[in-house]
Amino acid sequence: MKLLNKKTDTPELGATPSHRNRLFRAWLKIQMEDERYHPPRNGLILLQIFIGVMFFVLVTRLWYLQIQRGEDFARLSLENSLRQERIFAPRGRIMDNAGEIIADNGTAFGLSLVREDCRDISATLTQISVWSGIPLSQLWEIYQQERFKVKSFERIRLLKDINRELLARIESEIYAWPGLEIEVRTKRNYPEKDILAHVLGYVAEVNEKEMEDDQTLAAGDLVGKAGLELELEKKLRGQKGLYNVEVDVHGRSLGKNLKKEPRSGHEVQLSLDLSLQRAAWEALGGEAGCVVVMEPDSGKLRALVTSPAYDNNLFATGISKRDWEALRTSNRFPLQNRVIQSTYPPGSVWKLIMAGLFLEQGISPKESVFCSGEVKLGNQIFRCWKRGGHGSVNLERSLVESCDVYYYLMAEKMGIDKIEAFAKACGFGRETGINLPHERTGLVPSKTWKRSRFGQPWVRGETYNIAIGQGYTLVTPVQIAVYVSALLNGGDLLKPLLTEDETRTVTGRLPLSVKSREFIVAAMRKTAAGGTARVVARKDADMGGKTGTAQVVKLKMAAGDRRLSSSEMEYAQRDHAWVATWGMKQGKRCVVVVMVEHGGGGSSVAGPVAKKIYDHIFGPETATVAATAQ
Amino acid sequence: MDTRLFGYINWSLLALMILLYLMGVVNLYSASSTRLDSGMTFSGFYQRQLVWGIFGLCGMAAAMSFDYRRLRNLAWPLFIVAIVLLALVPMTGKTVYGAKRWLSLGFMNIQPSEVAKLAVVLITARILARGKNPLGWKDFFNVIVVAILPCSLIILQPDLGTTLMILLILAGMILFHGLRGYVFKTCLLLAPCAAAFMWFVGMHDYQRQRILTFLNPVNDRRGAGYHIIQSHIAVGSGQLWGKGFMEGSQSQLRFLPERHSDFAVAVFGEEWGFVGCLVLISLFCLFLLAIFSTASLAKDRFGSLLVVGVFFYFFWQIFINISMVIGLMPVVGIPLPFISYGGSATIVNFTLIGIVLNVSMRRFMFKG
Repeated sequence: MKLLNKKTDTPELGATPSHRNRLFRAWLKIQMEDERYHPPRNGLILLQIFIGVMFFVLVTRLWYLQIQRGEDFARLSLENSLRQERIFAPRGRIMDNAGEIIADNGTAFGLSLVREDCRDISATLTQISVWSGIPLSQLWEIYQQERFKVKSFERIRLLKDINRELLARIESEIYAWPGLEIEVRTKRNYPEKDILAHVLGYVAEVNEKEMEDDQTLAAGDLVGKAGLELELEKKLRGQKGLYNVEVDVHGRSLGKNLKKEPRSGHEVQLSLDLSLQRAAWEALGGEAGCVVVMEPDSGKLRALVTSPAYDNNLFATGISKRDWEALRTSNRFPLQNRVIQSTYPPGSVWKLIMAGLFLEQGISPKESVFCSGEVKLGNQIFRCWKRGGHGSVNLERSLVESCDVYYYLMAEKMGIDKIEAFAKACGFGRETGINLPHERTGLVPSKTWKRSRFGQPWVRGETYNIAIGQGYTLVTPVQIAVYVSALLNGGDLLKPLLTEDETRTVTGRLPLSVKSREFIVAAMRKTAAGGTARVVARKDADMGGKTGTAQVVKLKMAAGDRRLSSSEMEYAQRDHAWVATWGMKQGKRCVVVVMVEHGGGGSSVAGPVAKKIYDHIFGPETATVAATAQ
Repeated sequence: MDTRLFGYINWSLLALMILLYLMGVVNLYSASSTRLDSGMTFSGFYQRQLVWGIFGLCGMAAAMSFDYRRLRNLAWPLFIVAIVLLALVPMTGKTVYGAKRWLSLGFMNIQPSEVAKLAVVLITARILARGKNPLGWKDFFNVIVVAILPCSLIILQPDLGTTLMILLILAGMILFHGLRGYVFKTCLLLAPCAAAFMWFVGMHDYQRQRILTFLNPVNDRRGAGYHIIQSHIAVGSGQLWGKGFMEGSQSQLRFLPERHSDFAVAVFGEEWGFVGCLVLISLFCLFLLAIFSTASLAKDRFGSLLVVGVFFYFFWQIFINISMVIGLMPVVGIPLPFISYGGSATIVNFTLIGIVLNVSMRRFMFKG
């Protein structure tokens, strides 16, 4: 090195004998510039200008970005890195009037897979198949469907609701399967299953339309879809809480802090009495039909049973396609809430309404009609249910023994217009206002209705049919219960109430005088004591009732227009059995309406059901004669 | 070695360079960490950058160990080596992101276009040093013809950034040397034509797209515009004082792409704010002024031109890189000296400063 520098200082001596290499000699040569050098002045100024311009341009731009618009960018940067994550609020529990829980929140255990952590997807899925018994192909299908919806570090839910036994097994083996996680979610739990399915309804994941209507909902939220869960959604649903989650560019969570506490939904106490509900369910004994038990004075429902029903827990965890198809296509229509959604011809129960009309139209209770068993109208013959006829029949006897001829002849006097107006004033042909979705109105036929429906004028024979609750007339069982209650409570048509805290709501007044009401009530008492409804009679209580046997002339299927196959015709052609009753014991008053689809005779089929229900309400019958209320 | 020489070294240049380099390492420490669920993780960029710095110092020492005037002898051999290497690239080069730019030496990869840059600076300094008069057509074409061969080889790789860089350094050196008025005016007239030619013939679709995206980044929010937007957000959200060291959410949470290389200064801007940026840019300007002073004090034309070549080598990189990060220029792959991570770049930068120091320390070794 020293040598080299020396050479540098004396360039003339570039090639010394010790360095023969020509290339190296070339390297050592230094070409001197002869003149005294001064850098070009313009060039130096140019360099300074360059530096100045750069400084000015960059600093100006940084000023603009960081000072002028700094706050905008700070906000954007925050938005970049913060996501909000909801915290589910527990849904309000539902209890019966004694405080027994009938809908609460349980936990559901699911099994999820995190793609990123899973070493061997195929082997893991095979293991899950071994655990759960679900075919491997089905698991692959779920996996393939879901994998593109979630990021690699997010969970794919493969099993939704695993039972405790399986959970225990999976928990003990899961350590060998990285990427699998047991996931805990809340699940709505309905311990009573079918017995309260139609009243409670169910919750399920929100759909797109619901999210459009309510901006606070997001995918994955559970909302009420049917029954009270739907009706009382606002009350039951809590308010979601929020986490602020810091995320990186891939959306991976890096930690979170609570921004808003979740608020749980309100608890709801129903007016229903769970033990009575169960008793009514038992009393129906699996028959297709329904029971309404209503307090006539408050309008509170104590039981509301429809059978057959379904297990609403199935919906809470997401019903399988197969189960859903089975429910939807069953010829017993388990999805139908018969109390409010099925409409039936009322049969002889309708005579309770017609009797009111006659009284109000000035027909004397003493006025008698001769029943020979049939009435001729032109070439048509209208028969009484009793072949031989009832002989001389007045209003009271016509109710107690349910004479049809009396009603044919009296209705003839009234005409359809008056019948229509009166029936509508009694609450028929419109909703009762019960807090359940999809209530039907039934039908009170009229001349205008017939013209617009069939394009034909009203004929007199139809008035005859209407008079005995046949023909076009259709009612829901709850409408009958409201009418009978109004007879007892002084004439108020009440909204049937399902929750304990709701106040009595009058939706209309019966167009009946006190005398007329009392007359009908007394006739019902007599019917229960020795008439067609005597099956409900009991010594320790004041009872009243009216049976009905509605002929199914034209089969009316409420759920869809599916035609029944011939093998079912026999059952389907049987009569509907009705009984509308009331009972009073020691100040306790209630109205019980029972309807058994294709049950046969009202007194032989529906009556015993009502009897069992009264046994539950008033206790087993005792010998003591009740002090009659009236 | 004559110890007197150390007395003439441009110490302020050396100090500024070391300072910038250390700021770069500190910034890389932050840029290469990512916050994860479980805490911080570091990728080893800042450690490797430290190792490269040591290699760089060796390169610098080597560059100072001999009289810089001998480099004039090296100009043509280096030029030939550069051309050979560039010619080898299409045959045996490594393909990265669809472009062949690298030669693998087994233990490390070298980028022949870097060698070419150096060779062009040397050869231009040598040619221009032949006379003191402003360039006429003949000398001008001499320089251009020599530059055209490596440039056309580089643009075929394709590497538009480096090509432009070489041409810009060349232009800077020619302007410094001075050229005759008529040559200058003709060049000014031809520049738009050359630009149009580049746009329609010389550029690939993706390069054109980059320029269009630069003009309107919002059009391509998810694609190329993403870099620009995220980089704006990073720098802008630093505001006056910055978010603090290791606190930049844009970089720590990986929203900012290329945050250890081309966009490293965005991390700096986010964490140190306007004040930090002002300091950094001031340091860069002082650094350039230090090189400038060496150029103005040099006692021979070759040395002076060599330093000016190095000056423009740094000037354009600093100006273009920061402009690109803060949205004044389209995204081109040009790193920021000392701040961006890069092995070859660090060694070359140190070595070039070594040459400048070499010129400064030997400026009094003239007898006549």
